[in-house]
Amino acid sequence: MAHGGSGTAVGAIRLTNVAKEHVLASGERLRVLEDISFELADRSFTSILGPSGCGKSTILNLIAGLDSRSSGQISIDGARIGFVFQQPRLLNWRTVVDNVILPLEQQNFGREAMRALAAKYLRLVGLAGYETYYPLQLSGGMQQRVAIARALAIDPDILLMDEPFSGLDEITSRKLRQELLRIWQETRKTILFVTHSISESVFLSQQILIVSAKPARIFKRITIDLPYPREYGDLRLFEIETQLTKDFLEMGNSASDV
Amino acid sequence: MTTLPRVLSIVSLLLVWLVLSAMFAPNIVPGPVVVFKAMGENIASGKVFYHLYKTLLRVGLGLVLTMVLGVATGTIMGLSRRGEVFLDSWVLVGLTVPAIVNSIICLLWFGLNDRAAVVAIGTAAFPAVSISIWQGIKGIDTQLVSMGQAFHLNKSAIVRKIVFPQLLPHILASMRYALGICWKICTTVELIGMSSGVGYQLNYWFGLFSMAQVFAWTLLFLLVMFAIEYLLFKPLEKRLTRWRTGVPALQWAQ
Repeated sequence: MAHGGSGTAVGAIRLTNVAKEHVLASGERLRVLEDISFELADRSFTSILGPSGCGKSTILNLIAGLDSRSSGQISIDGARIGFVFQQPRLLNWRTVVDNVILPLEQQNFGREAMRALAAKYLRLVGLAGYETYYPLQLSGGMQQRVAIARALAIDPDILLMDEPFSGLDEITSRKLRQELLRIWQETRKTILFVTHSISESVFLSQQILIVSAKPARIFKRITIDLPYPREYGDLRLFEIETQLTKDFLEMGNSASDV
Repeated sequence: MTTLPRVLSIVSLLLVWLVLSAMFAPNIVPGPVVVFKAMGENIASGKVFYHLYKTLLRVGLGLVLTMVLGVATGTIMGLSRRGEVFLDSWVLVGLTVPAIVNSIICLLWFGLNDRAAVVAIGTAAFPAVSISIWQGIKGIDTQLVSMGQAFHLNKSAIVRKIVFPQLLPHILASMRYALGICWKICTTVELIGMSSGVGYQLNYWFGLFSMAQVFAWTLLFLLVMFAIEYLLFKPLEKRLTRWRTGVPALQWAQ
């Protein structure tokens, strides 16, 4: 599908000095994000890695327009955004195919065209044949696949993923990670992936932004040059993971010094 | 699966009735035979349909008014803190004032007509619906709403496709419950101020000390309500909650 972007690539995204504050009931200001600046190249895979509750999700919410920033600039250049949440967030009273169609209904597709699109993306996530099932008839992993198909069906330029596999068991999430990489290679989306798992971020990403807690600030940027497809148990991945774990601990120590 | 207990429950009810009727005189507890015969005669004479129609009309319109008032107030209370505080005492008053007071006031205001019956039913029955809808709105999954926003659904689509379906079970449940209340209030209004309807007939036969006819009219209405329950509400509920019938076998079929 053609998009209207001219000079710059549509899938690119840039945050400049973005900050976010919550005003508490007491009138006190709580800084959640501070000086967040990064750029995502078109068709890149980037992870935001940080401890639980550090405000990583807020970054995604700001990009998706679900929350408003206190200062700074976010340039998404009219890119279309698909969102995959930590929980599948499916409408349980709609069938699988009707869940995938939900965001399409907003645009003026015909019924048949929407169904065809939904079928295409359900096939991509390995759920062909499950169109008429209801979400509660599916396992957690399958539900999350439906959520991924829903996000892809709008043909987004950028896919935001907020710890999408953290609620699943390890075997299932391993499988889904591999499939996510396959889908990413097939569709060539720009993906921004939030996680608190070091190994997950290393396995998936080309670029990792390590974020500190309270307020969230970019502590370190890491580039991983390994080619895809990647294998679990690859020693080079393991080395990077070990190094990252050290960085992570170092960050924890410096945070407790403050 | 559930047919057997249901049949047993109805049969046992009839048995209790039969035993009681054997223990007491017919003018105190008339037996099923006498009552069904009286009902048959009423139906054969054709008088039944007019009174039944009048009662069902009042109950039906009363139920509509109940649901409109209940859903409106419940929605306001669920969505706005100020609305909640404002309507709180109204609902409490509505719940506390006995339905017979609503009936008397409406009959005095509007005269002895259907309008009085409908307004009495609506104003007496709506607080129960308000509370159910209010709770339903409090229980709405806001994560689904933000999902809708993330996918750029407009406000109307979010209400229609994400909020309303979550409220539907509450609306349906409160409607079933309200139907029972409406019918009880309707008989009261008819008993004290109407010259038609099942309540009027009950009052008439009460005046003549005919226990068989009192039973016959009550039974007739019970049968009508059962028909509404099993032909309308049950199938509707089943249709609307299809999605809850999970297939556990698929849980591990990753």
